[in-house]
Amino acid sequence: MKSWPGNLALHNESLFNAVLSTLDMAVFEREEDSAEFRLQGLPPDWWHLWVGPANGTVLDLGQCSPFLRDYLVGAHPIWEGQSGATEKSGPWTEPDRQGGTMTLEATALLIGSKKLLLIERLGSGFEEMGAIVQRARERMLAEERTAKSYRKTETRLISELEASERTKDDALALLQHLGLAALVLDERGHITFASDRGLEILGMTAEAVIGQEWEQALPLHKQDRVPIRELIDTASDPRKTCVARIEGPRPRWVEIEVHGDPRHPGRHIVIVHDRTELHALRRVLNEQASFHDLVGKSPTMLRTYQLVRDVAQVDTTVLIEGETGTGKELIARAIHSCSGRKHKPFIAANCAGLTDSILTSQLFGHKRGAFTGAVNDQQGLFEAAEGGTLFLDEIGDIPPQVQTALLRVLQEKEITRLGEAKPRKVDVRVVAATHHNLSEDVVRGSFRADLLYRIRIARVQLPPLRERREDIPLLAQSFLGQICTATGKTIERLNPDTLRLLMSHAWPGNVRELKSAIEFAVISCKAKEVLPIDLPPEINNAPVVPSSSVWIPLPNRDEKSRFLAALSDAKGNRTEAARRLGVSRATFYRRLVELDIDPR
Amino acid sequence: MMQKKVCMLGGFAVGKTSLVRRFVSNVFSEHYHTTIGVTVEKKSVKIDDRDVTLVLWDLYGEDEFQRVRDSYLRGSSGYILVMDGTRRATLDTALALRQTAMRTVGTVPFIAIINKADVRSEWEIDERAIEQLREQGWTVLFGSAKLGQGVEELFVTLATQIVQTSPIPSDSL
Repeated sequence: MKSWPGNLALHNESLFNAVLSTLDMAVFEREEDSAEFRLQGLPPDWWHLWVGPANGTVLDLGQCSPFLRDYLVGAHPIWEGQSGATEKSGPWTEPDRQGGTMTLEATALLIGSKKLLLIERLGSGFEEMGAIVQRARERMLAEERTAKSYRKTETRLISELEASERTKDDALALLQHLGLAALVLDERGHITFASDRGLEILGMTAEAVIGQEWEQALPLHKQDRVPIRELIDTASDPRKTCVARIEGPRPRWVEIEVHGDPRHPGRHIVIVHDRTELHALRRVLNEQASFHDLVGKSPTMLRTYQLVRDVAQVDTTVLIEGETGTGKELIARAIHSCSGRKHKPFIAANCAGLTDSILTSQLFGHKRGAFTGAVNDQQGLFEAAEGGTLFLDEIGDIPPQVQTALLRVLQEKEITRLGEAKPRKVDVRVVAATHHNLSEDVVRGSFRADLLYRIRIARVQLPPLRERREDIPLLAQSFLGQICTATGKTIERLNPDTLRLLMSHAWPGNVRELKSAIEFAVISCKAKEVLPIDLPPEINNAPVVPSSSVWIPLPNRDEKSRFLAALSDAKGNRTEAARRLGVSRATFYRRLVELDIDPR
Repeated sequence: MMQKKVCMLGGFAVGKTSLVRRFVSNVFSEHYHTTIGVTVEKKSVKIDDRDVTLVLWDLYGEDEFQRVRDSYLRGSSGYILVMDGTRRATLDTALALRQTAMRTVGTVPFIAIINKADVRSEWEIDERAIEQLREQGWTVLFGSAKLGQGVEELFVTLATQIVQTSPIPSDSL
């Protein structure tokens, strides 16, 4: 503890006054047993400004200043303590005698037994400290204002963001409610949004799609991307759509339309419609409209398809009856394809116009040397069709001797090659076809009854085209597509007048004649649609008959005229003449004989 | 005449000096001038036909750098807790100063005033917080030193409470 002299003023008054003057403070000593203070030494210059004119050196300081009144009560513990203890009052500001203010600070101290009070006027040092605090607080206030401004901005932005999120949520909810499958592409073709339905159709997650380039992200076949790219490039026409197949575990067929984003040029909205069900229905419809290579959805044909399916399930011999050109071989192929033999050979043989020996050799084979020219062993068609199906067309035309051999094969399931004695086992299903009425042939004696019964275990009767005219548009369109593909021509459709002519034609050559007419028309056609003028003259120039009319076969004399005309038009080319008539070459030859026409 | 010491307490820049100056001199300055230490002012009011001189101790604002000295508070007959409605943090400071005052001067009358009612739309102290103060027994007034709104009411109300709760000393009569 620092030791102070007992009475500094008494020992060196001049020095004490000099110190007081330098420190610019007033020093008081508290009177014993009194609330009054005695001024020590000379008062500072400011003293009279604060207390007024000096009135003695003993003062009641509590009366001079309300601050000191309180402080002096609090300073008692200092004066009751140990020597050398001090306590500062802290600064205070009070009005002075001239209408201004004065900032002072008191220090209570005990020196020896003397209770002293020092009062100093705070000057420039205090003001500098005040200025520092002022600046610090102004800066804090400014920072608070800035922080508050940031908070307000943040609040506003959060509010706007929330509003935006709400709008987005509403839009999304609407989108989901509508089940709309939509993607949004940015200017670079990257996917920026995909609705739930869109992701469901694509079979992908948002993580796998968002941010990806659409061509990379979407599981599309390369060919399908081309039309989509074209749609994006020409998004100004929203009516244009394209169909694509989404690959994956659950493949889907989709119809895609592309719209330009009205808010952001360069961005696109892609709407995806799931057409899988529609596609499946179309496929079912198409399957109904066609059966293997047969085309038609008329009730007659639908019954025929079902009959073929039924017949295919049993391994019996089948007789297909129908006019020439009705598609008997197609039926035979369909039976084979639907049967358990479909992975084995299907052999077709036309029995018309062949001699006894040639047909026997063809069907059963021969041994080397069996006849002149038989230089090698040769298996017949029965052996070639082992395990499969042998289609015998025009079975009504086979000679009696062959009928006998054929009957044996059907009964014994074995054949004997020409020139051999030992029969060979064969496992062949025979499907026969004829345009004859074999029952009449049996009556006439030209066909064996037992063979008829053997081959007619199952029967399929093909209707002539005139009895299923409703299939004509479907058939014509199908042929048009096939022929255009084969020829490389681009013809989109049939003109309604053309179709009307086709519908009214008698079609004696049936489907084959129709196909021939379409081939003729495609060759002639120069436009995007087949016009009546493109059709063969016999169709184009023919008087239109009511569609409900029943076709009556022409008498032989008229048919002979048509055959002669066809030969004339074809300049004697029998193949071409047969094609023009819509009949097979075999039928053409047979009819030439029957009509007594000399082809030369 | 009865003299009563009243301390103005609150965070810095809440408007303690402005309230005192509006009350004592009826002036207001937009310029912020921080108080160092304490500024002592006096003003007499008539309470129940008696003149009461309020000795207003306008203390420096409390912040993290300056804590209010207990010695300034000693001898107070009442105090005013001042808050700035636009600064939520000044409510926390007022709550802390309330504890300091309770510890130093005990249970004496006090009034809380939320200053800057002229910019009410910018207030951060919300109705819920004010309600909580009132639930704790606080008298909470709204005022604006800038407009003079609620200032007279503030001091007169406190003076009334002081007069009603404290006996009149013989030397003050």
